[in-house]
Amino acid sequence: MGVFRIEEADRPHLLRLLIIWVVLSIVGILAALQIHYPPYDQSVQGQDQSRTLALLTILALPVFIGVVIMVLYSAIYFRRTTTELIDGPPMLGNTPVQIAWIAISAALVLFLAVVGIVTLASSNVAQAVNAPGRAIGQSGGQTGSGTAGGAGPELQVQVVAQQWYFTYRYADYGGVETTHLYLPVDRPVELHVTSLDIIHSFWAYQLGVKADANPGVDNIFHVTPQKTGSFQVRCAELCGLWHGHMADSEGQVVSQSEFDTWIAQQQKDYEVISKAVPSYAPFYFPEPLLKAG
Amino acid sequence: MIRRLSFTAAGVVVVIVLVVAFVGLFMLRRPGALEGTTTKLHLETVAAVGQANEWPRPNDPHPDWVGYLPTTTWKVPANSTIQVQIDQEDGASGLRNPFWGKVFGTEGGNMHVTYFDDKGNPQEGDMTSIDPTQAAHTFAIPDLGVFVPLLGVGDNAPPGTQNTITFSFKTRGPGIYRWQCFVPCAAGTLFGNGGPMQTIGYMGGTLIVT
Repeated sequence: MGVFRIEEADRPHLLRLLIIWVVLSIVGILAALQIHYPPYDQSVQGQDQSRTLALLTILALPVFIGVVIMVLYSAIYFRRTTTELIDGPPMLGNTPVQIAWIAISAALVLFLAVVGIVTLASSNVAQAVNAPGRAIGQSGGQTGSGTAGGAGPELQVQVVAQQWYFTYRYADYGGVETTHLYLPVDRPVELHVTSLDIIHSFWAYQLGVKADANPGVDNIFHVTPQKTGSFQVRCAELCGLWHGHMADSEGQVVSQSEFDTWIAQQQKDYEVISKAVPSYAPFYFPEPLLKAG
Repeated sequence: MIRRLSFTAAGVVVVIVLVVAFVGLFMLRRPGALEGTTTKLHLETVAAVGQANEWPRPNDPHPDWVGYLPTTTWKVPANSTIQVQIDQEDGASGLRNPFWGKVFGTEGGNMHVTYFDDKGNPQEGDMTSIDPTQAAHTFAIPDLGVFVPLLGVGDNAPPGTQNTITFSFKTRGPGIYRWQCFVPCAAGTLFGNGGPMQTIGYMGGTLIVT
């Protein structure tokens, strides 16, 4: 069996390809470093996801550029010039080359898999930010473990999906239900996502949270907002006529004092309907299931 | 071979035309907007659009569907106060989320309701919430923060009577705002959320702010 060797005549091609690849890869990586990758940095988890996206892009770019320029270069310089139908040169093996590309590809893929898994795992863990002395609470069940208004354990917030709106219940504040999601900055939050009717998906884009909202299920996610400002909430699961409008751009990350003021007002407004709303629970089975017939 | 290909191509074209026609006709089949731009909305809610008192739709393809009348597409001016009167003729079927029993987003945070109590006596007053189990429908424009529950006609109310709900709210800038009912009131459909709840012209619609 013959062994593939690079012919003397092909060395200029190889050198040219190598130079093009290195130059374009450097340019591509420099360009990639200028991009602000979603979901940006409004939460610790979102920032992790952005960094992971940047890393994946930077590692994938040289591979992508290498494949593309090899295809284009071959199409230009090794194009068949006659209409004569003849066999091309035989394809011969080269063990070192084969070992090299398999090893490099495997190393890249495994590295990316590890990075992705670690980010995914860390995205669903409560994380402290620059707030000395703030303890990260354990998952305290469904009744709330935090201290109202305090900078203590995780703030528990329930996301209640229904056709076609999200409402929110704050377990630590008597289960008060609100029409918008407000979160205090720098405080870990435990989100409990559920649905009253069909399958929805709670997507707080800038916070880097996307969680299925299933009826009868308490889907738990963690997020730690680290920058104040507004964020968007939308449904990411096709859920009927107004799915496209099941969104709210009035989500807010605010300071702890602003949050305390806001939640106190919500509790006051909520009093008029509080007795009619069921007690805070992991999920709800509204009765009767079949309404109006 | 060519003949077979021609038949296949013709068949594909016919199917495409039929699908496009079906979808197009479906999209076009919706009630028009209230004539002109208005700051007063007078609406009627009924258990069956074919049996409405004020704006019956005898030729409606779904005469037994619950609905708002005369239409669910309304044109209103931007940055204005809109006065709404709803003649509510339907019985209660209850809210899936009792939270929506509270009034949100109206001027004064309330609504004025004339109704018949449990004993069939006429009553009238301002309300900031209702018993969620007694809701027949809601008038909700989520993007404007307007959520108004509509009290269902009680079992002891005189036959043929209605509850009248009046309130006002403010519009923002121009745009198309979706409108919906939060009571799963679609009789005969799974979880009450099918049919009229999923069709514009019945329990879904738009507020066109110009």
